[in-house]
Amino acid sequence: MKLPNKNKTSENESKIYSVYPKKVKFQISIIFAIVLFWYFYSLRATDADFLELFGDLDVVFGKLIEMFPPDWSYIESAIDPLIETIQIAVVASTFAILICIPMSLLSANTIVKNKFIYQTFRNIMNLLRTMPDILLATIFVSLFGVGIFPGILALTVFSLGLLAKLLSETIETIDTRQLEAIRSTGGNIIQVIWYGVVPQVLPSFISYGLYVFELNVRASLVLGFVGAGGIGSIIDTQLNFMQYQKVMAVLVLLLVAVIIIETLSNMLRRRVV
Amino acid sequence: MANDFRLPPKPNRTRKRVRNIIIALVLAVIYFWAFSGVIKKIDWSFFGEMGEKFGKVIPRLFDPAWEEFEKVFDLILETIFIAYGGTLIAAVLAVPFGFWAARNMVKSPIWNTLGKWFLILDRTFPELILAILFVISVGPGAFAGMLTIGLTAFGMLGKLYAEVIESIDMKVVEAMEANGANKIQILFYAIFPQVLPEFLSFALYRFEIDIRASTVLGLVGAGGIGTLIVITAANRNWEQLGLIIISIVVVVMIIDFISSKIRKRLV
Amino acid sequence: MITFKDVSLVYPNGTQGLKDINVTINKGEFVVIVGLSGAGKSTFIRSINRMVTPTSGQLLVEDEDILKLEGKSLRKLRTKVGMIFQNYNLVNRSSVIKNTISGRLGHTGTLRSIFNLYSKEDKMKAYDNLKRVNMEEKVYSRADELSGGQQQRVSIARVLTQDPSIILADEPVASLDPPTSHQVMSYLRRVNKEDNITTIVNLHFIDMAMEYADRIIGMRDGEIVFDGPVSEVSDKTFEQIYNRPIRDEDLRGSEENETSEQE
Repeated sequence: MKLPNKNKTSENESKIYSVYPKKVKFQISIIFAIVLFWYFYSLRATDADFLELFGDLDVVFGKLIEMFPPDWSYIESAIDPLIETIQIAVVASTFAILICIPMSLLSANTIVKNKFIYQTFRNIMNLLRTMPDILLATIFVSLFGVGIFPGILALTVFSLGLLAKLLSETIETIDTRQLEAIRSTGGNIIQVIWYGVVPQVLPSFISYGLYVFELNVRASLVLGFVGAGGIGSIIDTQLNFMQYQKVMAVLVLLLVAVIIIETLSNMLRRRVV
Repeated sequence: MANDFRLPPKPNRTRKRVRNIIIALVLAVIYFWAFSGVIKKIDWSFFGEMGEKFGKVIPRLFDPAWEEFEKVFDLILETIFIAYGGTLIAAVLAVPFGFWAARNMVKSPIWNTLGKWFLILDRTFPELILAILFVISVGPGAFAGMLTIGLTAFGMLGKLYAEVIESIDMKVVEAMEANGANKIQILFYAIFPQVLPEFLSFALYRFEIDIRASTVLGLVGAGGIGTLIVITAANRNWEQLGLIIISIVVVVMIIDFISSKIRKRLV
Repeated sequence: MITFKDVSLVYPNGTQGLKDINVTINKGEFVVIVGLSGAGKSTFIRSINRMVTPTSGQLLVEDEDILKLEGKSLRKLRTKVGMIFQNYNLVNRSSVIKNTISGRLGHTGTLRSIFNLYSKEDKMKAYDNLKRVNMEEKVYSRADELSGGQQQRVSIARVLTQDPSIILADEPVASLDPPTSHQVMSYLRRVNKEDNITTIVNLHFIDMAMEYADRIIGMRDGEIVFDGPVSEVSDKTFEQIYNRPIRDEDLRGSEENETSEQE
């Protein structure tokens, strides 16, 4: 199913570029060939078979139907873990937001002129960002034992990397002339930041904060699977018992919660930005 | 003189104040609720054992088990394949949806809003939920992971594509229409050349995200290194966990580096 | 009094910003620096409040060599030396009053300024200065809602709120239309006369320089090539400073020129 589709695009691809010189055309074809080759290679390596998938659609749907109807009575025991999940997300987002402020100021070259300092902080930030949430959660669980404390730490570090990067990039694009003016009145560095930087970045900052909170609510699902608290743990258990109808009920509950949180956060965001 | 000086009153001050107070109150309640809940649930006894635990775990994390390299590397490769295949599915799938959700491509506003909503709906699905659904329906394995990544990534890519399409220069399109070109010709001669570099750049960016996302899939049996991470930690095999950490960090860094280099050249 | 003694400045990329500048500017003078762009006018002006730091020589402001100042004493110098910029440099998203009162930052403790705890006197000073530039109607408007001329007037109010003994203005009218330019220059001139504030203005418009200055300093390639009272200046002098004949673009045009200020 995917196959004919792909070939069509590649054909059209050469048509678009037919107005371009031969060399460009050749390069494009090569890149395309590599992309496709890797694709089929990865399909093979992962035993993916789309044809079989579409052939066995009835089996697939049959399995999905096993999840229905969701076992609504189970929702009651999922409420507490859900609350825990949201609380973890709130607390972790708060810590991340607080820590990211000095972090992003120190890694923005509009504020810190010393190349060594901002490069150091930028590198720390990038290192943090390479760690997927699951890895952080596992590390902290192995250091602090099972419980929500390592979960909070993991999400804090996870969102800190992202938040600090977003914020420092914003700080790097502010209008430095406004800072110059504050500096020329004799303001010290804190006053320059408070009067010059904060008004310029506050709307984006709030928006990023909300975004990271949303992200943390989703990411906290992962925590439960490694014993770091939240709703993931009951999903894990029910999956292992193959109680798919219970799993489905929890998933629906979670999805509803995510939708509500995102709607609220979008409303707030529109207010401030 | 100084004492009876007042600044002129601020216009509509009360409304703003009421709004700010309400927001502050709501935030205070949320924070109180979250922090008190969390503090109650944290088992503070870990503090006592912390020193001992750190001493046990940290040195072993820094002594990676290189002899397991092949096993770890194979799984990381599988993770990359999942991310790659998934991103490609998403990158292709997102093209028609991007056009559907772009304001300047769809004449009917209702139809257009519907496209936007569809992409929003897709983005709300946490990937683990989808992964669970796929693992149950197509069976555990990397294929389920690839489908998951494909379906979660395409919501974000579709939105980004739509924004790119909305920002193109419509004059070229008009000129082509004036020439009597048909819709398909306009698509390939006027629109694609303008948007393709950005499409590719966003797809690469999403690939960086998907590499990280694919590590999680193993938790529910959808392939990749995630399963090994959990097993390793459960077995307290800290040397192997150390190796996994290093490998993931290095691989992610390399991929980020290459991808950002390519993206800079594209745009 | 400001005295430059053999002041030179070389930028890190090797460009010579100032070459052996020797000049004295007296208290209360209204000095206009003219020269083509890149002549070193901006570097000259920014040396006086150390937004740039000359690499050699001595620069005395009120008998103190400011080239050695650092940290707190540097900030103290900057409270005495107010600066007005070509692009107004107001904090766009803050209100007019907040922008104006930021002139008091150097006199206010960090914590007090963060929590907006300014004294009544400071608030009154800010408001009075807004009145002086006829901007009291707009106290709570956001800076980016104002036109260019209005923003520049607010930035004059901000500088006045600093209680400066020197005002530096770096191309204050380059982004404005002719009538607004004259308005802004008149405010600067009035402040200079009424408060006896030494005022140094960079301009590249010859006619405006002639109209408002007491004294004109001409710069070319980082050097002072002319220095004298307005009465000694003729078109020839400018041709000598610019090293080329005068063109139309060197003139701003008079106040009658009908280009209305955009609101």
